[in-house]
Amino acid sequence: MIQTPILKPGPRQDGPHPDHAAAGRPQPSAPVVRIENLVKRYGAYVALHEIGFELKSGEVVAIIGPSGSGKSTLLRCVNQLEQPDGGCITVAGQRFEGGKEHSRAALDTLRRTVGMVFQSFNLFPHMTILRNVSIAQERVAGRSRKDAEDRAMHLLARVGLADKAGQYPARCSGGQQQRIAIARALALDPQIMLFDEPTSALDPELGLEVLAVMRELAESGMTMIVVTHEMRFAENVSDRVVVMADGRVIEEGPSRELMRDPKTERTQRFLHAVRDR
Amino acid sequence: MEALTQLARGVPWTIALTLTSFLLGALLGLGLCALRLSSSRVLRALATGAVLLLRSVPPVVWLFIIFFGIGFGYVQLPSFLAAMLGLALITAANMAEIYRGALSGVHRGQTEAAIALGLSPRHRFQDIVGPQMIRIALPSAATFAIGLLKDTSVASLIGVQDVAFQVNALAQRSFSGTGIFVIAALLYIALSLPIAALARWTDLRLRAKVAR
Repeated sequence: MIQTPILKPGPRQDGPHPDHAAAGRPQPSAPVVRIENLVKRYGAYVALHEIGFELKSGEVVAIIGPSGSGKSTLLRCVNQLEQPDGGCITVAGQRFEGGKEHSRAALDTLRRTVGMVFQSFNLFPHMTILRNVSIAQERVAGRSRKDAEDRAMHLLARVGLADKAGQYPARCSGGQQQRIAIARALALDPQIMLFDEPTSALDPELGLEVLAVMRELAESGMTMIVVTHEMRFAENVSDRVVVMADGRVIEEGPSRELMRDPKTERTQRFLHAVRDR
Repeated sequence: MEALTQLARGVPWTIALTLTSFLLGALLGLGLCALRLSSSRVLRALATGAVLLLRSVPPVVWLFIIFFGIGFGYVQLPSFLAAMLGLALITAANMAEIYRGALSGVHRGQTEAAIALGLSPRHRFQDIVGPQMIRIALPSAATFAIGLLKDTSVASLIGVQDVAFQVNALAQRSFSGTGIFVIAALLYIALSLPIAALARWTDLRLRAKVAR
């Protein structure tokens, strides 16, 4: 059995670094992410039809739904990896309107506020594990190499991989790589973490160690949006579930309630299909 | 024996010309590649035109154009400089294409991860995409460099006293051309071996790190 790392709830890192203080840190009850009427098109194809939802600080939201329903696109709009064509996303008090250009400064702040974990890990293969986790701290946060590496070691220990620090990603299993990718995303002390199907590229057994890290991250109070096909994670770890189909939010609610008693026929069909596997 | 010493006198010129034109060309090629991928249509078209032009005219013609054409009447370029310039431009065009191919071999997720981490465009290239691109470009670049080593022989036609120049001079004096040409061939092979070895060694070293 894989030994799963224990994440200590530790001091929260949703931190007041100066950029956020200037942007006005949202009150705990105020939404930290607000998505309004979000539209994304690829040519004539509409990937997202006027999506809207909110996320409070400390909340964990799972986005589920069939393939091609726009889940990943929605997630990628939150940190502007995709530029929406309409609507508006507000992240930590900063408004990003669809179809507009954003300043470098605004995007820099956004990306320090939001960490992201990808389905295919996307670790940098030519760098050691330690460098993977420390590089952005030096380049983006302006930390010294020593500070960056100390923080990186601390995070690697948190995900249970401190002993891998000097190795290259190719030497690690998929599950280990994804845990490193989580450490890398945490290194800039984001307020919000985005997970884009973090276990879909993994064997079920390796997926478990990643889910354990995510669960503990959630318990430590991190605000998270998780696109996932892991129905148990959606039900047990997330506070709320958003169900998407055909570029629309078709249902949304507290996770236990929604997963056990879905209201729409489309959600029932989807849950039935994935649970039958 | 006397023939050998004279041939050897050409070796430093051949090496110097290969090295300088390759390094300059590899650097200019980066710029040219960047222009080819620029978001401006005008710059893209110019760069594409330049690559096409540089690659479809034979090196010897370029050298003549630069040495006799540009040099004549305006600035008289020394033959070595003219040869270096011409070969560097040709190298730039070829390297630009090699870089471009290598770039498409770097997984898109690498750039996305770098963007998500907030790395600036400069750091995205310098730290993330660039090193991976060079790693992919290396074998093709080495192949090109060996070709370039041989192409430097055209510089003898504008008076650079490289190996080919010495061969010609010897052959014209001694009447025993064949032997000298064979020796020259062996010399070119000997010079290209270190390039191949260096490329292979670097490739293996880099591969060892990222091997699956």
